[in-house]
Amino acid sequence: MEIKYTVQGLLIYAAMSVYLLAFVMSLLRRRKVGHVLYLFGFIIAVLAFGYRWYDVRHTPLQNLFEVFLCLGMICYPVSFFCRRILQVGGRCADMLIGAIVLFPAGFIFSAEPQQLPPALQSWLFVPHVAVYMLSYIFMAKATFQALTQFAGKSYDGDEKLLPPEEATYRTICAGFPLLTLGLVLGSWWGKLAWGDYWGWDPKELWSLASWLVYVGYFHFRYMFGKKHARINSTWVIAGMAAILITLLWANLSRLFSGLHSYAT
Amino acid sequence: MGVKESSKKKFRRAVMWSALTLIILLIFLSIYGAFIGAEQTRNLVNSLPLSVYWLAWALVLITALAAFRRLARVPRLLLMHGGCVFILAGSMWGSDAGHKLQEQLLGIDKIRTGRMAIYEGQSKNLVALENNQQAKLPFSVKLTDFRIEYYKPVYLRVQTREGRSWKIPVEIGSDFSLGPDFGTVTIIRAFENFKITIEGGIVYDDPEPGYNPALEVQIKHADGAVRTQYAFERSPGHIHPEDKFVLRYQRIISDYISELEVIKNNKVVAKKNIEVNHPLHFGGYHFYQHSYDAEAGQYTILEVVSDSGLNLVYAGYLMLCVGVFWHLWLRHIFTGIKLKSE
Ligand code: HEM
Repeated sequence: MEIKYTVQGLLIYAAMSVYLLAFVMSLLRRRKVGHVLYLFGFIIAVLAFGYRWYDVRHTPLQNLFEVFLCLGMICYPVSFFCRRILQVGGRCADMLIGAIVLFPAGFIFSAEPQQLPPALQSWLFVPHVAVYMLSYIFMAKATFQALTQFAGKSYDGDEKLLPPEEATYRTICAGFPLLTLGLVLGSWWGKLAWGDYWGWDPKELWSLASWLVYVGYFHFRYMFGKKHARINSTWVIAGMAAILITLLWANLSRLFSGLHSYAT
Repeated sequence: MGVKESSKKKFRRAVMWSALTLIILLIFLSIYGAFIGAEQTRNLVNSLPLSVYWLAWALVLITALAAFRRLARVPRLLLMHGGCVFILAGSMWGSDAGHKLQEQLLGIDKIRTGRMAIYEGQSKNLVALENNQQAKLPFSVKLTDFRIEYYKPVYLRVQTREGRSWKIPVEIGSDFSLGPDFGTVTIIRAFENFKITIEGGIVYDDPEPGYNPALEVQIKHADGAVRTQYAFERSPGHIHPEDKFVLRYQRIISDYISELEVIKNNKVVAKKNIEVNHPLHFGGYHFYQHSYDAEAGQYTILEVVSDSGLNLVYAGYLMLCVGVFWHLWLRHIFTGIKLKSE
């Protein structure tokens, strides 16, 4: 636990609080207020990310602090896109996701700026991490839809929005290409930096497992359609579990020491 | 007709179940691999039973392309699944077994992977293999220079015995105040290879091979006493009982650079300064900056990796990405635009 008494910390805590307030307002059915607050929280998150960028003078996606800060910023645009373009709801949950992903940046990981080690000095670094972050937010949203499907209800009750099973599928369809691109870019970068496009390193293996769970989901759903909706949802929840392990466990646990451990 | 139709359906179902089984098996294999570590996983996936498993993947994918018309006819689906076939084929061709096969079928005798330690000024064509044997490249690699670069500024860390500390950017000659209670620090000079004579205790920067970066630091204590101390990068150094401060020279490496030349028939045929992320590609091999002589900075260690199958894998990656984006994104964007314009 590390409380940050800095401008950086202040911005993160402010964004978190506003996201939480937006969430509470939405729960209280004050949707308009909730939405305005969510937008406001997003603006603060952009400021927090921009401030960090200015502070370290390289794209801040190098360690877990920066990665979570980035996640806290992109959940709003993803939420907006899903609602407007994909007709996928769950905005209320997105507000909570925003606050949750900012928590590790605010309280767990150190904000001490680090200089880039030689292996991270590659133009592939930013696109590789950025597409992963985006896909993770899509997959988190899909997981929420899958859980809603499991619970057997639709929270939004909005006519224009898709029912949970289809919403899950559509969100996965949006996130999966990004997940694929992230994996491929990582592999390409591995070839340039370490000499091998695939090193069987624990983090690589967990990311492969996450990707394969979604591949499995696609084919299972192609075979059975919506006949086993709960099994469809189970695939998606399992995918998110694998992503969380990729993101956290492989970095934090001494269990998997490997090339990627420096990312902590 | 009806019987034919249903047996076709059954066959397709079997193909899909095989695909699902292979996918689930690979998920579990990946998770298992994460627990046993990279080295052991590599051995496992290159073992004979797993070769059968990889072949099964290729077989099921190819069967699917034949069994499902859409898969072969719809370009985006073909790209996705064909891309996977390419990746599998490329990685098989580039594996240990693939290299053996190349030798037997085509007579291509290629080193899959190995290391070369090359001294500055030396040229070499011998590659050390994993099994303690050596193999020869059909050309030589010469190291003209090896150097390490550091992030600027570099720092002097000053710490009191009670644990207070300062991080001072190194600027030769300028004073840095530690406050009224502690005095002033001045960095007098920097050494790349610090040495001291046994008689007379004269310090000097030794041009001979060796690596012992240090700083000479003058400390004006608050009581007016002036002392000279040395800060080392590689060790805490010797501290006298009367020294108030513990010093450390701190530099962060920004890059390792090996200047290489490739020599064939006594002619320089290629030149490149390789760094981490920027290997040299020549004659079917990539040469990577792998390690270096940490004691004296005199030699570099290169990793040599065969590029067999790499183009297939990259083509597969491209096909996979194009197919997936096309199928899941672009298709919908295009229909969306079409609908709007109608
Ligand atoms: C193991 C062998 C595989 C077989 C037999 C197989 C078979 C199929 C089939 C029959 C379809 C349905 C195509 C259609 O819409 O008519 C499909 C869809 C798809 N496959 Fe595969 N596939 C395999 C492996 C993979 C792999 C490794 C990937 C990884 C990218 C993949 C990605 C996809 C995707 C993204 C779809 C589209 C799903 C959708 O539109 O909902 N497949 N596959």
